[in-house]
Amino acid sequence: MSVIELIDVVKRYQNGEELIEVLKGVDFHADDGEMVTIIGPSGSGKSTMLNMIGLLDTPTEGIVRLNGREVTDFSEDELTEERRSGIGFVFQDFHLLPMLTATENVELPSMWDTKVDRRDRAVDLLTRVGLGDRLDHKPNQLSGGQRQRVAIARALINEPKILLADEPTGNLDQDTGATILDELTRLKQDENIAIVSVTHDEQLLEYTDRVVRLVDGVIQK
Amino acid sequence: MSITDLLWRFPSVQMAWRNLGRNPVRTALATLGIVIGVVAIASLGMAGAALQQQATSDLGGLTNEVTISAGEDNDNRGLTDNQIEDIRTIAVGSTVVPQKSNFTTLSARNGEEARVRVTSVTEASALYDVSIGESPNRLQSGALLSESTADRLGLELGDPVAYDGQLYRIQGLIESSQGFGSGGANELVLPMAALSDQEYYDSVTVLTDSGDLASALTTDLEAWFNEEDDEVVSVTNFADLQEQIGSFLDTLNLALLGIGSISLVVASVAILNVMLMSTIERRGEIGVLRAVGIRRGEVLRMILAEAAFLGVLGGIVGAAASLAVGLLIFHLITDSASLVFEWQSSRYLVYGFGFAVFASVISGLYPAWKAANERPVEALRE
Repeated sequence: MSVIELIDVVKRYQNGEELIEVLKGVDFHADDGEMVTIIGPSGSGKSTMLNMIGLLDTPTEGIVRLNGREVTDFSEDELTEERRSGIGFVFQDFHLLPMLTATENVELPSMWDTKVDRRDRAVDLLTRVGLGDRLDHKPNQLSGGQRQRVAIARALINEPKILLADEPTGNLDQDTGATILDELTRLKQDENIAIVSVTHDEQLLEYTDRVVRLVDGVIQK
Repeated sequence: MSITDLLWRFPSVQMAWRNLGRNPVRTALATLGIVIGVVAIASLGMAGAALQQQATSDLGGLTNEVTISAGEDNDNRGLTDNQIEDIRTIAVGSTVVPQKSNFTTLSARNGEEARVRVTSVTEASALYDVSIGESPNRLQSGALLSESTADRLGLELGDPVAYDGQLYRIQGLIESSQGFGSGGANELVLPMAALSDQEYYDSVTVLTDSGDLASALTTDLEAWFNEEDDEVVSVTNFADLQEQIGSFLDTLNLALLGIGSISLVVASVAILNVMLMSTIERRGEIGVLRAVGIRRGEVLRMILAEAAFLGVLGGIVGAAASLAVGLLIFHLITDSASLVFEWQSSRYLVYGFGFAVFASVISGLYPAWKAANERPVEALRE
């Protein structure tokens, strides 16, 4: 079943006098347990497309469905709830909060839910990505690869159905990138989630189930 | 459960605390601004309270006194025995002290001379406090003299003073008054008999138990003796004066607080600036928070908590510093530092603290609102 669907999505930006059409009618879907990679030259609209999939941005035209439900016309607050409960994010620059420990960073998305205690799951996730002995380390005490693992654990804390990765290996060396990709592949199977990533990295293609090529806002068949 | 666990129940507070800890120098400087504001408000407020306190104690018992003297339309230019009796009837329960007065020049063996006011009175102890000797309840034969005058003339307890051909032994020396009113320098107090050639009394002092009684008595006496166009007696009391001084001091206090508030306004602008800077710096980070599903209200609360923390920190330190300043002010103005703990002055510590927190939260509103409503896409594009 499709976790996320884009149907004929168009996105236009007003840039001064100029109206720029970044996405020109994009159809896309990602299923449970599937890793899809979006590739394309810079300026092709990859990031915009990932923002649509991550419910960070809304399309000018077209439909977005999450778990079969149309979310196109959701308000910002409703989209926030959907992101919180259903979507995990991994960024190129990790984006961990420097003043929080690894465990606290992982707990971050659920931190304001004081009724549920996610501490055990956070520790469990960190252990599973091999950071069981780094629980109380601050991000600046961790290597790049370790930081990205913390970020992956954070993305999974709320048991999402889909994980979005924007250049997840972009700031890592070849070997570290490979271990991160192994990690993602394993989690994809364990948690039965869809992973959608955007990359320039050829290495990532070896791990992916399906490749989507985006050129000038149009998907190449 | 440790304090950290407890703090995690208030995630906004916890996050705010961690965020402030990231840039301790900036936090300290922003707090310092608030501290200065609180000290300005609280210490100026307490200075006003100290002045008020001191003014009240200076006026002291005077406000309980009513003084009656001949009015403009009094043909006798004095008060008769009958009028004194009327006053005693109206002011039943209070001490009524009739007085006659005159002026004379005392000369001493050492060649010094002093011009003094002569007051003849029976109930001397009701009006005069003496530092040396005694102030008799019924003055029959002796005299009281101002201490400063006695010093100048080289007179001591037991020495005679002459008035109108009669000698009177000095029974007590009147201490110099610190405040306003009777009992001061250049006073010679003699028994009633000394001025027996004056038929009428020049004034009557009535000592009541409270300022309210004095005011009421003033009204009663005027109603009894005076017609609309016929002022037989003039009645004065200090309750009105105290009220006027009180209202002047209230105005002064308000002005002082106003000046103090300006510094707190400046401090809150500084907080606004600091909060705005720090949210702009953390734009991407706040974008990440929003992306991973932190609600707008939660971001808002987090930033507001930061501002409130600055206010609370500055308020506590400021109140402590103000207390020290207040102790000093009260020590200097009223000689009793512990009076600062009276609610009349210590309330300014509470006000200062309250204003600090209030001003900080108000200053945090805009940066918090701005951070919370930034679209995550825009914020992440850094």
